[in-house]
Amino acid sequence: MIESARSEATKIEAGQPLIQISDLTKVFYTDEIETHALSGIHLSIAKGEYVAMSGPSGCGKSTLLSIIGLLDTPTAGRYSLNGKTVENLDFAERSRIRNQEIGFIFQSFNLIGDLTVYENVELPLTYRQRMPAADRKARVMEALERVGMAHRVRHYPSQLSGGQQQRVAVARALGGKPSILLADEPTGNLDSRNGEAVMELLQELHREGATICMVTHDPRFAKHAQREVHLFDGKVVAEEELKKLLAETSA
Amino acid sequence: MNGLLQDFRYAVRQLRKSPGFAAVAIITLALGIGANTAIFSLLDQALLRSLPVKDVDRLVILNYSGSNTGRLQSRADGHFYFSYPMYRDLHDRNSVFSGMIATDFTQVGVQWHNQPDLVGAELVSGNYFDVLGLQPAAGRLFVTADDVVADANPVVVLSFSYWQRRFGSDPGILNQSVLVNGHPFTVVGVAPPGFHSVVMGDTPDVFVPMMMKAEVIPGSMDLEDRRSSWLNIVGKLKPGLSREQAEAGVGPLWSAIRSDELKEIKGGSENFRDRFVNKSQLFVLDGARGFSPLRSDVQMPLLIVMGMVGLVALMACANVGSLLLVRGAGRIREMSVRYALGAKQKRVIQQLLVEGLLLGLAGGLFGMLLAPRVSSVLITMIWGGGTGDLPFSAKPDLRIMLFNCGLALLASLLFSLAPALQFWRPDLAPALKQQGMTARSGPLRFRRISVAVQIGLSLVLLVGAGLFVRTLHNLRSVNAGFATDHLLTFGVDPRMAGYEPDRTFALYQRMFETLRGLPGVRAVAATNDPELANDNETGNVTISGYADKPDENMQVEQPNVSVDYFSTMQMPLLAGRVFTDQDSAGSQKVAIVNESFARHYFGDPQQALGHFVANGGGKGVKPDIVIVGVVKDAKHVSLREPVTRTVFFPYLQSPELHAMTFYVRTWQQPESAESTIRRAMQTLDANLVLDTFRTMDEQIDNNLTAERVIALLASGFGVLAALMAAVGLYGVLAYSTTQRTSEIGIRMALGATRGSVVRMVMFEVLWLAGISIAIALPVSLLLMSAVRSQLYGISSSDPLTLGLTIVVVTLVAIASAMLPARRASRVEPMKALRYE
Repeated sequence: MIESARSEATKIEAGQPLIQISDLTKVFYTDEIETHALSGIHLSIAKGEYVAMSGPSGCGKSTLLSIIGLLDTPTAGRYSLNGKTVENLDFAERSRIRNQEIGFIFQSFNLIGDLTVYENVELPLTYRQRMPAADRKARVMEALERVGMAHRVRHYPSQLSGGQQQRVAVARALGGKPSILLADEPTGNLDSRNGEAVMELLQELHREGATICMVTHDPRFAKHAQREVHLFDGKVVAEEELKKLLAETSA
Repeated sequence: MNGLLQDFRYAVRQLRKSPGFAAVAIITLALGIGANTAIFSLLDQALLRSLPVKDVDRLVILNYSGSNTGRLQSRADGHFYFSYPMYRDLHDRNSVFSGMIATDFTQVGVQWHNQPDLVGAELVSGNYFDVLGLQPAAGRLFVTADDVVADANPVVVLSFSYWQRRFGSDPGILNQSVLVNGHPFTVVGVAPPGFHSVVMGDTPDVFVPMMMKAEVIPGSMDLEDRRSSWLNIVGKLKPGLSREQAEAGVGPLWSAIRSDELKEIKGGSENFRDRFVNKSQLFVLDGARGFSPLRSDVQMPLLIVMGMVGLVALMACANVGSLLLVRGAGRIREMSVRYALGAKQKRVIQQLLVEGLLLGLAGGLFGMLLAPRVSSVLITMIWGGGTGDLPFSAKPDLRIMLFNCGLALLASLLFSLAPALQFWRPDLAPALKQQGMTARSGPLRFRRISVAVQIGLSLVLLVGAGLFVRTLHNLRSVNAGFATDHLLTFGVDPRMAGYEPDRTFALYQRMFETLRGLPGVRAVAATNDPELANDNETGNVTISGYADKPDENMQVEQPNVSVDYFSTMQMPLLAGRVFTDQDSAGSQKVAIVNESFARHYFGDPQQALGHFVANGGGKGVKPDIVIVGVVKDAKHVSLREPVTRTVFFPYLQSPELHAMTFYVRTWQQPESAESTIRRAMQTLDANLVLDTFRTMDEQIDNNLTAERVIALLASGFGVLAALMAAVGLYGVLAYSTTQRTSEIGIRMALGATRGSVVRMVMFEVLWLAGISIAIALPVSLLLMSAVRSQLYGISSSDPLTLGLTIVVVTLVAIASAMLPARRASRVEPMKALRYE
């Protein structure tokens, strides 16, 4: 799977960051109020790395993940993905990059209820130009087998448990053979047993070479990652500093 | 292609998953498209379609300006009617037409194997079929030689449908003899299928050469009378010649023809004689659609109905659009997921378009299936009940169907784009985290506008429905001036059974005696000018001692009626006496006038008695008919037309009588007397052809056909429009209240009562309805003033109708808001707060 991913994603040298973010800010404007969700973020994620982003509610971790996933645009700062500057791309180009380079795993699965398991996994591949049906099928089945859901191809999401739905969502993210998997609280809607299973799946994928960036507020799951990035009030902080800030806040 | 197939599959699945939505959208589109196609199909046939003949763009109709002082038999503007000598001169001496045909329509009795039929007949010149480039379906069509010598060639061509209907398409009928008005005629051929007549709206069953006019219209001896105008002329321009060139080319010939006619007019001033020739012009009009007396009758009603059905179609589109928007609002998350997975806008829109296309196709398909049925019902309602073929066909016209289907597809594609606006640039991140369920204000505004448009259009249609229904009610309530109940009517023309004028009176006497002797019959009467039949027989009258003013219209109705006419019809006598058996051919000529006549010429009914009148005008006319009675006014031409001045003459004193309409007053329901009367007349003479039997109530219904159809369709469209507006309003309110669940929860948590929540929803409805009504009301007034001529006894801005319509629209709006309001009022605060 990862070998194939290498063949599709833009090649970068080993050790060179896959994601490079510098001085990134995001401000939300509502009526006359400015909310600084992110303030001067610097972050780089190397290829093959497994990074967990954690922090208290409202610290900006999901906003940062949305910008990394090109679902949102920064107010200022620079962002390069796979060596390409992406912060000012138009909607269509961002769509293309999302389709080819990014795999999403959402807290609420975001499977389409009217599509079968197979069709859900196939969906991002149908958005690719001129991909033969046979190739698509091979990719879909490979991804589903990888997450242990190949036996449920004809089922609809409503016929699956939460854990199964999230595994299908992981298969959908893998099917496109992306450069990076972005997971936003992937265990948030699961019980502990299913949550652990998903985390093990992500770890296996990482061991096989996948680059993963995961948002979580659960320290148990954050420990699965190679590196933890702590956010507080829209800024990246060290772990010790986060503890201190949290202590000050609670005091 | 693959993507398209996938989108198609998904669209089918989506529709199957929401059968309610799919059914409402498809039915709405089908009704809009079906009704539109049906009405436009009629409009196309009546007003737009060309005749199915060769070189149709070279066909022209002749019409002239200037006075006509001779005899005129016409079904439309008299300037379209010519005498046979005029036709012959124009045909033989012109240099601009490659062909010219003459035509007239009448009814004849056709007898085959002792079975009489009353059928439509077209008297045509011998070159009729040749000029129109038609080929026979069987046998041969007329040739010029068939129409050269008067009464010499008793041949007949059958219409294709009459051949099918009456003779079972049997080719054996060729060269057989049938009786036409009692005269043997040889069937020489069958006209091609699909062709009715060069006169649009006429559906003759048989074609007869013009030279056989005396047999076809007994008593007509005017074939060579230059001053008797009765036929229409259709020409075919020489190739490459324009109508203007033809008009200029035929001008001198026309002047010569008018000069020839002038020679036969005695007297007249120099000025008149100069104007008669030099101020008269022959016009060459476009004839591709054929001449049609019917066209002007149906034009306004059809345009009104087309306007209404157009509004309904517009509403259907707006309705489906708002339904798609409401549905689209629930799919923001799905679309956001698609975007997140890399879908480009083009692809998302493609999917929405495919869904719209599918809806449009299904709606179009059902609409196309519905259209011929609607057409058929309408055609039967308007033109049914007569003999022979109906003037229009309910058969679907491929061009119109494809056009309307295309329109349906276009409309559904356009309205599919409306939800696409919602998904053009969605806020992906919040949508994916389930915070983005609220649609942006833009689409909600669009939905509100769409619903406001629907409410407005339904108001316009309901105002129209109200005015037309009240028009019909007013017309039905008009006092006809005679008792319309328990009255059966039928027509008979003894000429069609071969009776000569000298035997006609005796036949009528026998008919009266027979009918009076039938059980259940109270009284019997007859007239040659039937009541409420859109028919009139007017002529000039001269009154002794009355000096007519310059340009005063001295035209009055002049029916010949039987002795018991006034008592049978129950027309009250105001002064003098009614006719008696003594008012016969040898006695003093007498007349009875109506109240309008008496008041106009004598100031008072009593004053009219004893005065003398005469038919016709001019210095040589000597009034010798004494007025012996005055009867109360009665409606004659139609319930809508004002009463005309009338002089009734006793039929026994008429020099010659032909067709008469009988009125039989019964004790029991009049319908039940029909079979008894038919049997009795059959016994009297098996060859007598009795024309359409009707009760007077049916006759009045028939008289009000246009009003009835407009009122019925307007009501139907109004109700449909109100239903569509209700569905649209419900959709928007259901959606907007769902969106406000959290807000409502907060309000209730803070102490709002259920009543206040209901009031809040109702306020939104009433605000929307109020704005719509305020905008639609002046539009309604403007549109209704354009159809003022079709109203009766009511103003186009009738406050009662407008007020009632506003109340109905408001009630519909409130009713459609009840369920969403109730649902909103039952929100549980805790659940609602968790909803966010």
